[in-house]
Amino acid sequence: MYMTIAKDRIGGLIFLALSIGYGFSITLIPMYPGDEYEVFTAKTLPTALAFLGSVLSLALLFLSRGETKTSLPDLDWAIAVKLMALMAVYGVILETLGFLVATTLFLLAGYWILGERRKILLFFCSFPLVLCFWFGLTQLLEIYLAPGVLLQWMGV
Amino acid sequence: MWEGIYIGVTTAVMPFNLLMMFVGCFAGTFIGMLPGLGPVSAVALIIPITYGLDPSSGIILMAGVYYGAVFGASTSSILINAPGCASTVVTAFDGYPLAQQGHAGKALALAAYSSFVGGTIGAIFLVFFAPMLAKVSLSFQSSDYFALMVLGLTAVAAFAGKGNILKALIMCVLGLMLSTVGSDRSNGVERFTFGSIEFIDGLSFLLLAMATFALAEVVMSVMDRSINAEGSKTSNVASLGSMKLSRSEIKEVAPTMVRSSVLGFIVGVLPGAGATIASFLAYGVERNFASKEDKAMFGKGSLKGLAAPESANNAASTGSFVPLLTLGIPGSGTTAVMLGALIAYGIQPGPQLFVDHPDVFWSVIVSMYLGNIVLLILNLPLIPYIAKLLEIPRTILIPLILFFSLTGVYLVSFNAFDIQVMIIICIAAIGLKLLDIPLAPMLLGFILGGMLEDNLRRALLIHDDSMSFLWERPLTAAIMALAMLALFGQPILNLIRSKLGQKKGQEVFDGE
Repeated sequence: MYMTIAKDRIGGLIFLALSIGYGFSITLIPMYPGDEYEVFTAKTLPTALAFLGSVLSLALLFLSRGETKTSLPDLDWAIAVKLMALMAVYGVILETLGFLVATTLFLLAGYWILGERRKILLFFCSFPLVLCFWFGLTQLLEIYLAPGVLLQWMGV
Repeated sequence: MWEGIYIGVTTAVMPFNLLMMFVGCFAGTFIGMLPGLGPVSAVALIIPITYGLDPSSGIILMAGVYYGAVFGASTSSILINAPGCASTVVTAFDGYPLAQQGHAGKALALAAYSSFVGGTIGAIFLVFFAPMLAKVSLSFQSSDYFALMVLGLTAVAAFAGKGNILKALIMCVLGLMLSTVGSDRSNGVERFTFGSIEFIDGLSFLLLAMATFALAEVVMSVMDRSINAEGSKTSNVASLGSMKLSRSEIKEVAPTMVRSSVLGFIVGVLPGAGATIASFLAYGVERNFASKEDKAMFGKGSLKGLAAPESANNAASTGSFVPLLTLGIPGSGTTAVMLGALIAYGIQPGPQLFVDHPDVFWSVIVSMYLGNIVLLILNLPLIPYIAKLLEIPRTILIPLILFFSLTGVYLVSFNAFDIQVMIIICIAAIGLKLLDIPLAPMLLGFILGGMLEDNLRRALLIHDDSMSFLWERPLTAAIMALAMLALFGQPILNLIRSKLGQKKGQEVFDGE
């Protein structure tokens, strides 16, 4: 017999842990002198929420019906991991390589990850498109976009 | 009221605002058509653009996107049986069979007409009900607002569906917890920042909305192999067929449209109910009303079966603006996102909006109606071309949507750290979706969190630190009673029903 935990119970456990962690973090909130005489302080709502969160999580944990099998839809996890990694890298290189270079690389890699191999599409949907977007932002909407540390270092 | 309508009309018909309406409807139709992306994602994606506009133009653009996305979702439901959002799932029941029978054009035209009728009736009701409710709510005090926030949160949970009430409530609490991150608004005390300066201002609403409704939805759609397969179905739509409806067909569906619109508006006004429940309810009601022959056609390409949910979901979309504009309580996930955008403008929706910003209040109402006309003018002739948009490869579209989501947030804060936070929230949102936990209540909790704390604090101050306002002030007590009814009404009814069922079963057993 397979030992499986129902989805709701997993959710209940996660939220219980979160509520306890949140409740513990309330002790880190600094208080002003005299706050102990106040009815409503910066800790009041968080305390109520930690209590409410714990009660509701316990209710979800105990009231949910057990499932014999937890079924997940047919998902392509590899592609999700690749896209997440790509976005994380984009966040890192955006301010280093600058908007134009970083975004072009991001789009090219994104198309490639999703299986696009047509060179014409890969080219026209990356650099020219980013250039148009960059032009619209910087020249038409007058939004300042830093050129990037690398380009500044190269004197561009 | 007429003066207000005049202000609204003059604001809405300004050339720039008309342009925003067209752009909004078109962009919304396009985004809404992409399987997996619904009106909430469409409005979230457009928010960064609205920050550069004045409030009236911004909200007109968002309203256009909202309408467009609801219609766009219907288009993909009809053409490829892939509903863009939950409120158009019912549209596919009869829309897709019609398309398969070679009447895709007729189905799309009927969806456009039904949406128009639903939107028109909804807008007329909105013109009369919104100011009335706004005037009444001018007498509201902090304690009443606190009760209203509680009502908004409990109502969303109550309408979350069987088995989801507890999960929706937990998500509301999670949203409220997230809203406490950052400096306390009343005394500046840092809460849950863990010493990081990045969190002193709290989490950005836009970041949260984008990460949960744009990024997570897109990544989920890429992960889901069945959606990928649906995405490649586009080549099936070879010809749309005639888009004309005969006189007898119009006669047949007209009463359905009117009935469903009224029903949709009423459901839309209820906080938390929204377009999905409205469309399912309207479909069910029409099926029950139909003659035996008509009933047999439901699910096989019935015109009534298509007109009912389409009228209802558009009327409900309009109806959900009533609680947003008059009480500051969003009626649906999309209006929750719009509420966040309005607050970012420094505009507090609620009764004061009617007094302080009549131009915004009335231009939204008028643009709701004009948006319907624009949608009809824009979408009917463009349907064949719009259908072609579905043929743009997803391999190109998905990275572009990810790019717009990420830069949308970056261009507001100019802080690359936000992109990393977005990814973390996106991963958490995907996990929650896989556990079948609804995300919209979290966003509502997050948006209402600050207001709820402020109003509770003020109410306690006014009532000498006593919670007695909850039962001593009749209006507050009445709203709290409604909130409790919304929360416990259904479970109590279910309990009574099951007890009665058990009793009946016992009687039958004893009789035997």
